[in-house]
Amino acid sequence: MEEKNTSFFAKLWHSVSDFFSKRVWQGFCVNILYKKFDRYKGWIYLAPAIVLLMIFTVWPIFNTIRMSLLEGYTSMKAVRGVEFEFGIGNFTRVLKYKGFINCLKNTVLLTVLTVPISTFLALLIAVCLNSIKWFSRALQTIFFLPYVTNSIAIGMVFAAMFNMILGGGARPDFVGVVNIVIEAFGGEYINWMNAGSEYWANIFVMTVYIVWNALPFKILILLGGLQSVNKQYYEAAKVDATPRRRVFTRITIPLLSPMLAYVIITGFIGGFKEYSSIVGVFGDSMGPAGNHYALDTMVGFIYRAIGNQEGTASAAALILFAIILVVTMVNLYVSKKKTHY
Amino acid sequence: MKATNKATASSSPKVMRERDMEKVSKAQKAVKIGVQVALYLFLGIMALIVLFPFYWMLVSSVKTMPEYSQSIPTIIPHEWDFQNYVEVFQNEDLLLGQLFANTLFVGVVSTVISLVITVLSAFAFARLEFKGKNLLFAALLATMMIPGELFTITNFQTVHTFGWMNTFTVLIVPFLVSVFYIYLLKQNFQQVPNELYLAAKVDGTTDLKYLWKVMIPLALPTLISITILKMMGSWNSYMWPRLVANDEAHRLITNGLRTAFTSADGVTDVPLQMAAVAVVSAPLFLVFVFLRKYIMKGVSRSGIKG
Amino acid sequence: MKRILSTLLLLAILTVTVLGTLTSCGGGGGGTGGGVSPDFEMPAGGFDTTTPVTITFYHSMGQGLREILDDAIADFNKIYPNIKVEHQSFGDYDGVRDQVKQEILVGDQPHLAYCYPDHVALYNDANAVQTLDIFMNDATYGYTEEQLKDFVAGWLAEGAAFGDNKMYSLPLSKSTEVLYYNKTYFEKNNLKVPTTWDEMEAVCRQIKAMEGDKCIPLGYDSESNWFITMCEQYNSPYTSATGENFLFDNETNRAFVERFRTWYQEKLVTTKALNSNSYTSNLFTGSATGNAAGTRSYMCIGSTGGTVYQQPKQTDGVYEFEVGVAQIPRIDPSKPKVISQGPSICLFKKDNPQEVLASWLFAKFLTTDINFQAGVSMNNGYCPVIKSVIENAEYKAWLDTAGTSNLQAYGVKAALEHADSYYASPAFLGSSIARDQVGLLLSKCLSETAAKDISAFIKKAFEDAVEECKYQSGQ
Repeated sequence: MEEKNTSFFAKLWHSVSDFFSKRVWQGFCVNILYKKFDRYKGWIYLAPAIVLLMIFTVWPIFNTIRMSLLEGYTSMKAVRGVEFEFGIGNFTRVLKYKGFINCLKNTVLLTVLTVPISTFLALLIAVCLNSIKWFSRALQTIFFLPYVTNSIAIGMVFAAMFNMILGGGARPDFVGVVNIVIEAFGGEYINWMNAGSEYWANIFVMTVYIVWNALPFKILILLGGLQSVNKQYYEAAKVDATPRRRVFTRITIPLLSPMLAYVIITGFIGGFKEYSSIVGVFGDSMGPAGNHYALDTMVGFIYRAIGNQEGTASAAALILFAIILVVTMVNLYVSKKKTHY
Repeated sequence: MKATNKATASSSPKVMRERDMEKVSKAQKAVKIGVQVALYLFLGIMALIVLFPFYWMLVSSVKTMPEYSQSIPTIIPHEWDFQNYVEVFQNEDLLLGQLFANTLFVGVVSTVISLVITVLSAFAFARLEFKGKNLLFAALLATMMIPGELFTITNFQTVHTFGWMNTFTVLIVPFLVSVFYIYLLKQNFQQVPNELYLAAKVDGTTDLKYLWKVMIPLALPTLISITILKMMGSWNSYMWPRLVANDEAHRLITNGLRTAFTSADGVTDVPLQMAAVAVVSAPLFLVFVFLRKYIMKGVSRSGIKG
Repeated sequence: MKRILSTLLLLAILTVTVLGTLTSCGGGGGGTGGGVSPDFEMPAGGFDTTTPVTITFYHSMGQGLREILDDAIADFNKIYPNIKVEHQSFGDYDGVRDQVKQEILVGDQPHLAYCYPDHVALYNDANAVQTLDIFMNDATYGYTEEQLKDFVAGWLAEGAAFGDNKMYSLPLSKSTEVLYYNKTYFEKNNLKVPTTWDEMEAVCRQIKAMEGDKCIPLGYDSESNWFITMCEQYNSPYTSATGENFLFDNETNRAFVERFRTWYQEKLVTTKALNSNSYTSNLFTGSATGNAAGTRSYMCIGSTGGTVYQQPKQTDGVYEFEVGVAQIPRIDPSKPKVISQGPSICLFKKDNPQEVLASWLFAKFLTTDINFQAGVSMNNGYCPVIKSVIENAEYKAWLDTAGTSNLQAYGVKAALEHADSYYASPAFLGSSIARDQVGLLLSKCLSETAAKDISAFIKKAFEDAVEECKYQSGQ
């Protein structure tokens, strides 16, 4: 450093620092000018983010907790100047309500169904994409395309594919593509999502759509993971003449496990927030004609309650938050035990 | 997969007689071809399933309104009506040019500011040591789990108190910070060896210079993917803009699309809307097709230490 | 794990802090920037015609209607040049409601807005709506006796259906339900257009017998309207704005639901929800089928706001069939009861009484100006709310062209003809919930096939619906 500094000021500094070369003095300087600043530097860099988060994220959270604990709170009543009782009435009210229990059931069921299926399919597609020679790039592009679409718009397309128009007679006027395929294989039409359809048929449709919707992101992550896996492991397997299945279960899966964990955890979080895909397929009714809200979810419930019952909506949102927190913790715990880094 | 095929083909050569080996390798070859065919078949079918909705959007956009409002959707339109596309650009309710300009402005400005904030925050989390860092980061991650719908009511009250209604500010500022992007970039920054930073320190390089010269180029794929995601966000945002800035001067594209084709009694001209959606989606698709590589790199890197 | 645990700790600390703050401010309402503006009091000098005043009007008008509104504002400014009217469209009725609601919360509501009765009830939960009696009864600024008589009575009454006999809104333009029927088919088969529900059932069976599988004789677009109108026609309780709100779970109502269920199961009738959410007008005009083999209907009960969709296909200028428009069937032929819908207009409280008075003057102008009322009606097929609109020559000429080629005029004419049969449902916080619930209830009962004891199923569905109403309206 000293050789480089040739300017007058550098020389001056050199002599000055020589003069104050005692350890104590130096230590003091470093402490004041360097370490003190360094201790708070992180906060300075974070300041813009923290300020904005305080206003637009943290304060709403406080406000949500506040509203959830004011029994029967609605903002309209608050404007009028009504005083609300403080208590857990909103929580007990929500938990006793049949509609909410139904939402909870649907959300859990759809999550438990779709996360494993979509993860498995994504893994399969990613592995296939990783082991083909031609058209690999074109196929990748196709599989990622849904990433840039609106889930409500595409949901309408799925609705059209499963749809059935019940006419004036025993045979429907119109059946969607799916039923046409079923018929081609000698099966009977299934009423997937129209008036009088069964709950399990509805759930099936939603499972298909949600899985479809979740694929691009998962393929993206898993394929990225596969491509960054060190080729040496496979070379070693080749030398050892390890069977293909064993290579998959003993090398590919363990090496992919961080990505798999990531995909599964985000999948669970997304699953518990499921809403717009159901609106896309079933419309605002969140269920087949004549059985509205049969497929309502937690977020759907919260979303509707926001309009007229902020207290209840807040309570429901906090319950959802608690559930997601617990599930994520369990996920993290499991993945910590199973994940290979 | 290829590697493993070869691996099995060369198993225990000494024990096998030559004729058997020939047989095995022939069989292996057949299996290999079969596997490849199966792979392509599987991927092909999946690709068709994935593509169908896009086909549907395009098909709907060339249907006439009477044909569309039939309760039986036609797979191939009886009548190809490209008038919808002409109409999209001439529609006085839509003012597509203005909508594009507004959306682009909001998208670019919010992306740039958001990138600066994200880079600074991610740098602080990845490289700097300060008291309460881990606690703060955990708290930020925790906010990601909260359903976003919850923030809307309070935020509306907040921006109104600030007097931001019907401005571009209200469309940009509340969403400048994304914990997810900070998280993405932090993971990325952490992959840069700490030695580089310390070496730079020794050289007397300032943090900002180090960020600009070393970190940002190394994290470019992530930054590009954040940019794309952020742009997509302003392209697709709907609920919030409708609430806070729905006047003609500030209206964004999705809201314009939703309101423009609805008549007094709430009947929507869906084919026209679909044509508009197709026109509006086109830039997004193009960006996506060309920059797919960056999205992949950015997102997959972030997953490594998930 | 550590990270998550520390997060939990942080959250716990935050919660405790919040609880601390809460108890210290006594759990009051605070936190919102809004407040209630005072009730209007007539300013001492009346309306100040010199100081400029700006009022805002929120609506959901499309481009065409906005032009008509701009013309009306120009005319209005000839009388009151110092009142500047700004207006903005929020897409649909719900868009207006959401916007106004959010603005009430921060005390910055517009001066006037399109409204439905349940919107008014919602706004009034924050005590934000200006009642109109003080204006209506005012000698200088109120309506004249003549003007009041000019209104379609049932529509004006809607503004006072809030259980306290106060006037909250004025009708702006209205639609109603009529029976559209395939005139060509009816004449060919010598069928009588039904005027009662018994006749309706008979005609449906006749048509079904003739047409078989590819026919559902009657489509009823709105399940909610159907249920509520039946309550009115039977004079059986539906809701009440005071006391116990939800009264629709009773023997009479269960009976008509069970009756209509057999109709649906025999494929005599369908509704919009049960018709894959596609308007039953599609069955009526045949645009639903796209091919000749599809199901058709020969009658359709739908809104006069959507008359254009009842228009059959045209080939070489000839309509596939002639459409007839009649009143909807009744229980008691002497007591016709028909629902009315469409936007009303309400005023909001504001700190400056001059602004409120200006907005009243504008509301009064829109409800009494013949040109505006006629223009809106000709644009979208809604009914004008005043009878004298017929004095507008252009409008009269338009009405005279009523027929299959001008179905809008046909619908408006039919709606004006039964001007004495409109009823107003009670409006209260939760009236729209009741409306939604009875619609869902009807389609749920109609489409139920699995239940062994259908009466028990219906009884249960009614109980659930009442429970749901109570929950959703915060009771």
